[in-house]
Amino acid sequence: MLRVLINQIRFTALQAIFLVAFLAAILAFLVISQSIRQLGRFGAIDNLGTIMVVAVIRELGPLLTALIVVSRSGTAIAAEMATNRVMGEVTALEAMGIDPYIYLVLPRMLGAIVSVATLMVVFDAVALTSGFVAAATSGMSLNRYTGIVLKTLSAGDVWLTLAKGIFFGAAVALFCSYHGLAVKAGPTEIPQAVTRGVVATIVAIFIMSALFVVIAS
Amino acid sequence: MTASRGSVFLSREMAKVAGAPPLAYRDVALLGRPDRLFNLTLQAGEVVAAVGEEDSGIETLGTLALGLATPASGTVEVFGLPIGELSYYDLLVFRRRLGYLPQGDGLLQNLSLRDNVALPVRFATDHRLREVDAKVTQLIEDFRLRPIAGLRPAQANEEDRRRAAAARAVALNPKLVVLELPFVGLTARATMDLLERVSRSEDGGRRAVLLTSRDLTPSVRGLISRAVRVVDGVAVEDKK
Repeated sequence: MLRVLINQIRFTALQAIFLVAFLAAILAFLVISQSIRQLGRFGAIDNLGTIMVVAVIRELGPLLTALIVVSRSGTAIAAEMATNRVMGEVTALEAMGIDPYIYLVLPRMLGAIVSVATLMVVFDAVALTSGFVAAATSGMSLNRYTGIVLKTLSAGDVWLTLAKGIFFGAAVALFCSYHGLAVKAGPTEIPQAVTRGVVATIVAIFIMSALFVVIAS
Repeated sequence: MTASRGSVFLSREMAKVAGAPPLAYRDVALLGRPDRLFNLTLQAGEVVAAVGEEDSGIETLGTLALGLATPASGTVEVFGLPIGELSYYDLLVFRRRLGYLPQGDGLLQNLSLRDNVALPVRFATDHRLREVDAKVTQLIEDFRLRPIAGLRPAQANEEDRRRAAAARAVALNPKLVVLELPFVGLTARATMDLLERVSRSEDGGRRAVLLTSRDLTPSVRGLISRAVRVVDGVAVEDKK
């Protein structure tokens, strides 16, 4: 089970780091470049921190990270679970007295939670750095940028990121596992199960994201 | 070494039915027809073959014995307990007393043959890692899997996969083993070897074994206690 957990973290987090970092860098650069241009016209450049923290760190970061994990690992989890079911491996586990939910689902859920939370931290770190690069190209100093961002960033944002990591990670593993294990007919049902799992997870993540906004406010 | 993990409820229930036959099908409608009822009782140490054509009902005997399916009518008693009435988690614990070789092999494709054999020992017992290793190594030796123990199921041939699945089935030294069509694709020699190893318990005694088969070769007949022919869901005496 430990091996499955480690493999899950390696595949979900480690192998996705560059993709997450790349998207975080591009997104933050675009958002900050555009924001500086628009806010500068109204002399409201101090609101840059609010845009960075609220839009990128608090909302888009977790959403984008979770979507990357769904597209890479959620599909893999759903396909693997469905294959396990079709090949009779789930029945074999039950016949041995091993709970398939403990053996198959639990390590993937823990792996997904750790991975999503870690990737969100990576996303935030890269986004903040890339945001500074964008700000610097418009002539903003590091001190000013740091001051603007830190004025809006709070400890609550760290907890919110952690909470989103746990809930989004669990959603990826649970929804995809559920739809994978629900396969009954045979191998032809596997792609459909993957699609169902991914769609259900995306819907769940957006709903949870909205709920977090309601709870946090 | 410690025995496999159990539940208090099961230990109490098992004590009530001590001495009961390992497996008994009582008026079970294998094909869902109330006029075709299946009855069969296995005594301790008995090796019984249920022989039948496709759709005769033998396909469901294994899953019913393990509580993986519930009969449309009648009861299946395993060591005296009506297995269909146990809760999901009691069933999981109870199945650790049984060995099961499903049709095909049921091996986990992402594990090596050795890890497949180790699976029940790791998860269903309180053995320490060193004890697990010793136990698994012994099973690997007993079932002559050592040269191919590191292979994944897809890399091994049918006979090796079946032997690994059989080793896994007896890993917890069960008193009852159910084998579903275990001889399909095996040579006569491999068949005899497999049955001989599965039916012998760790203390040198005999296990109760129920095996299903489409047909029986004379060599297999020499190793079994009796055979029943299943026709349209009903057990009839095998006169061969």
